[in-house]
Amino acid sequence: MLMCRDLARIASDYIDGELGTMDRVSVKMHLLMCGHCRTFIGNLRASIDLMKAHSSQQVDEELVHRIDSRIKERLDAQRSRKNDSE
Amino acid sequence: METAKHQSDEDILINGLKSGDQAAFHEAVRLYTPGMLAVARFYLDPSSAEETVQDCWVTVIDAIQKFEGRSGLKTWLHRIVANRAKNHLRKTKREVSSDFSETLDPELADRFAHNGRWATPPGLKSNESAQALMENGALSDCLDQHLAALPETQRSALMLYEAHQHKSDDVCNILDVSASNLRVLLHRARQRIFLMVETFQETGEC
Repeated sequence: MLMCRDLARIASDYIDGELGTMDRVSVKMHLLMCGHCRTFIGNLRASIDLMKAHSSQQVDEELVHRIDSRIKERLDAQRSRKNDSE
Repeated sequence: METAKHQSDEDILINGLKSGDQAAFHEAVRLYTPGMLAVARFYLDPSSAEETVQDCWVTVIDAIQKFEGRSGLKTWLHRIVANRAKNHLRKTKREVSSDFSETLDPELADRFAHNGRWATPPGLKSNESAQALMENGALSDCLDQHLAALPETQRSALMLYEAHQHKSDDVCNILDVSASNLRVLLHRARQRIFLMVETFQETGEC
């Protein structure tokens, strides 16, 4: 029988739909009987949503600036070579 | 409809990059650098990772001419970074170390009794939506701190899969991990975030 600890091990696979049919049914049966595990799955889902909502795209402006400068340098060099050859 | 619009935005950006338009590069750098860093950090220490991402952008100026759009721009850039980072890693003869043997976080594992049932069950049920929670600046800062404290391999897997929404196959490809090891990395990282949110909601502290 699936215990709470076993469910915690495969919780992400359950949430992502990566479990086989048997395991999936076992998890669903367990969840029907176990409030703690329902809370666990619910809160784990909420954590995943939080990660998605979190502005992971926060940009390091200094790094962007350094990269921009290097790109500009390279593009300028390419342009001046092109102008020289014309 | 959304996809079509998205594609055409990306096409405009790609055309700008191909024609050497500096504004297009600036936009692409802002958009794609965080994900590229997540890839590089999987393999390298922070300063080598930054350097690798910078070098990549310089090579993209020429390489973009050969970009045929078979994959999306994001996946293409992430693969370039992964290849460069792997080469760098080979030169330094370091290895990416990660433990794929245990799927349960030790802190969570301690909360089960010998019989496999919860000894310390999960706390309050979280009813607030992710968006509502994120409006709490303290929680957002706390999440940043915990993300920074994750092992690099777990963080990169989480960022690429969750934040940058790559498919599993792409993440495995970019990070050179098997599908089953990716599952372990993701689950371990998610448990850390789960524990952080729980502590934050119970104590109001990070």
